[in-house]
Amino acid sequence: MSRVATSQPSRTGCVTRLAELMTTFDSWSLEQASKLFDLVITRLDRIAEGVLSIELAAPDGERLPAWRPGAHIDVLLPGEIVRQYSLCGNPEDADRWRIGVLHDPCSRGGSSYLHEELEEGGRLTVAGPRNNFGLVDSKRYLFIAGGIGITPIIPMIRTVAGQGKPWTLLYGGRSRRSMAFLEEIGEIPGGEIHIVPQDEFGLLDLDRFLGQHDPEAVVYCCGPGPLLNAVEEKCQTWRAGALHLERFAPSEKAAFKEAGSFEVELARSGRRLVVPPYRSLLDILEENGCQVTNSCRAGICGTCLVRVLSGVPEHNDDVLSRADQEAGKVMLVCVSRAKSDRLVLDL
Amino acid sequence: MVDVRKIRGGEGLDDINDELDEILDSVVENTRQATEAFFAAYDQNPDPKILAAWLQPRAWREIDYVFLLNEQIRRYGLAFERRHITLLAKQSFQEAEHYEMVGRAIESLGGKVPVSTPPEAKPWSDFLWDCLERHPLAAIAAWNCSETSASGSFEPTFRAGERHGFDEVVRIYKQIENDEKFHVGLGRQVLAAYAKTDTDREEILRAMRGMRDLAWKTFTPESVTQARSA
Repeated sequence: MSRVATSQPSRTGCVTRLAELMTTFDSWSLEQASKLFDLVITRLDRIAEGVLSIELAAPDGERLPAWRPGAHIDVLLPGEIVRQYSLCGNPEDADRWRIGVLHDPCSRGGSSYLHEELEEGGRLTVAGPRNNFGLVDSKRYLFIAGGIGITPIIPMIRTVAGQGKPWTLLYGGRSRRSMAFLEEIGEIPGGEIHIVPQDEFGLLDLDRFLGQHDPEAVVYCCGPGPLLNAVEEKCQTWRAGALHLERFAPSEKAAFKEAGSFEVELARSGRRLVVPPYRSLLDILEENGCQVTNSCRAGICGTCLVRVLSGVPEHNDDVLSRADQEAGKVMLVCVSRAKSDRLVLDL
Repeated sequence: MVDVRKIRGGEGLDDINDELDEILDSVVENTRQATEAFFAAYDQNPDPKILAAWLQPRAWREIDYVFLLNEQIRRYGLAFERRHITLLAKQSFQEAEHYEMVGRAIESLGGKVPVSTPPEAKPWSDFLWDCLERHPLAAIAAWNCSETSASGSFEPTFRAGERHGFDEVVRIYKQIENDEKFHVGLGRQVLAAYAKTDTDREEILRAMRGMRDLAWKTFTPESVTQARSA
C-alpha cells in the first residue's frame, strides 16, 4: 500500500486517483501498474468486424508518457476487471494513445464492456504503459500477426519502415472484413505485405516464410495460441533470440497463483482464465461464457471432452482410455485439471 | 475415444463383460432396426399424432426411471458410496427433465403425456420393477440395458427429423443422447463396483437378458399401431 500512498501525479499532469482505485485491485496490479491515468475517450471507430479502435487523450491536453513499439496499457474496468491492450498508434504522437479491441464472444465484462458501454467524451482509467515485447535492432524483420494480434505490430512496422530497413508482414485473419487496420498498413512505405484472409486463402503459409532460417532477421509474432505455437515450432531451427512472441493478454491473476490453481488459455480467442484449486475447470469456463457440452460433471459421460493444444492435463475421469490419458491430447474439463502451470485448450 | 461401457471403477464384471457387451450390442441393433422400421412407416403417413404415440412409451420410461431410481436409492443406496448416491440422484433428476421435455414434444404433436403406464410399456415396466424386488443390482442392470437400447434409436430419429422437420424432437433427443452416456456409464460403474459374487453376476445377466428381449419392442411400428387401436 505504500506504493499507492506515495504515488505522485504523473509528469503529464493526468489525473491520478491511485488510493481510491488501487485498493479495489489485486496485488498484481499494485506491483505492475506504474501509473494510473483517467483519460478521455476522444474517438471510437468500428474499424473491422468486431474490432473497436479507441483513442485516448489526457483531459487537460497534456502530453502522454512516451512509449515504444510493443508497449501495452492496462485498462481498468468495472468489477475489478483488468485487461491489457497493445498501443497501436504512432509512438511519436504524445497527444493520444490508441488501442484496438476485439469483441470476445466469451467476454463477461472486458471487451464487451468496451464495445457496448464506451462513448466519445467519456473516461477510461488505464495504467502503464509497459513493454514486454520490445523491438530489437536487426537487419531484417519478419512480422507475423493473427487477427487482433496486428495491434502491437503496427507501430513496429512504422518504426522499422522509418529506419528504411527491410520488413515483411504476414497478416492472417478469419476474413478480410474482420481484419483491422488494412488500409493503414497499406500506406506504410516499403516492405512486403501479405494479407491472408483465411476464408480466401486458408491458413498462413508459415513454411514459406519460416522454413529457411534467415540469420539476419528477427521474427515478431502476435496472435492466437495455435498460431504462436506453430510459429514457435517452425522457428526451432532458428538462432536463439530470433523469435519474439506476444500472446494476446497476460492473465490479470497469473502472478498471484494459489497452490493447486492453474491457468487456461482459450486458443480461439486468446483469452486466459485462472482455475482456483477449489473450482472445476468446467465451472470456470461456464462462468466466463464458454459453453461446453456436459452431463454428469463427474468424469463418467465423456461429453465435455476438449482438445488440449499445449500443457499437461491431470486426468481425474473414469472413462478416457489409459492410452488417451497418457497421450494428453484431450481431457474432460468437468473433473480434470493441470499438471503444468498452463493449459491451452481448443476452445 | 470415449466408450462409457469401458468405464473404470470396479472389477465385479470382469468375468462377464464380454457377454454383457453382446447383450447390449444386440439390444442396440434391435432398437435401431425397430426405429428404422417405424420411420419407414411414418414416411408413408407422416401424421404427427403417430409420432406422438411413438413417443408416449419413451416418456413413460423417463418417469418410470425416476420412480425406480428413487426407490433404488431408498432401499439399497446406503450400501453404495456417497458419490454413487449423488450420481444416481442426479440421473433421477435428469430423467425427470427428460419426462418434461419429451412430454412437451408429445403435446406439441397433438398427443397426450402418459400419467400411468401405457399398455405397450407394461411388460417393460413390470420387468424393471420385478428386478428391483429380486436383487440390489438387478434393476440397475435392467435399466442399464434399457438405457443402452435407446442409443440405437437416436440416429434414425435424427435422420427422420431432417426429413420431416420435427426439429424440437431432434433437439430434445440430442440432449437426452448426452445424458444417456452418463446414465449408461454410471450404471456400468455401479454394477462393476458392487458385484462381488457369482450370484450377483447371475442376477445382472438375468436382468440384462430379460431387458434385451423387451426394450426394443415399443420402438416398432406395430407397437404404435396396437397402442392407437386399443
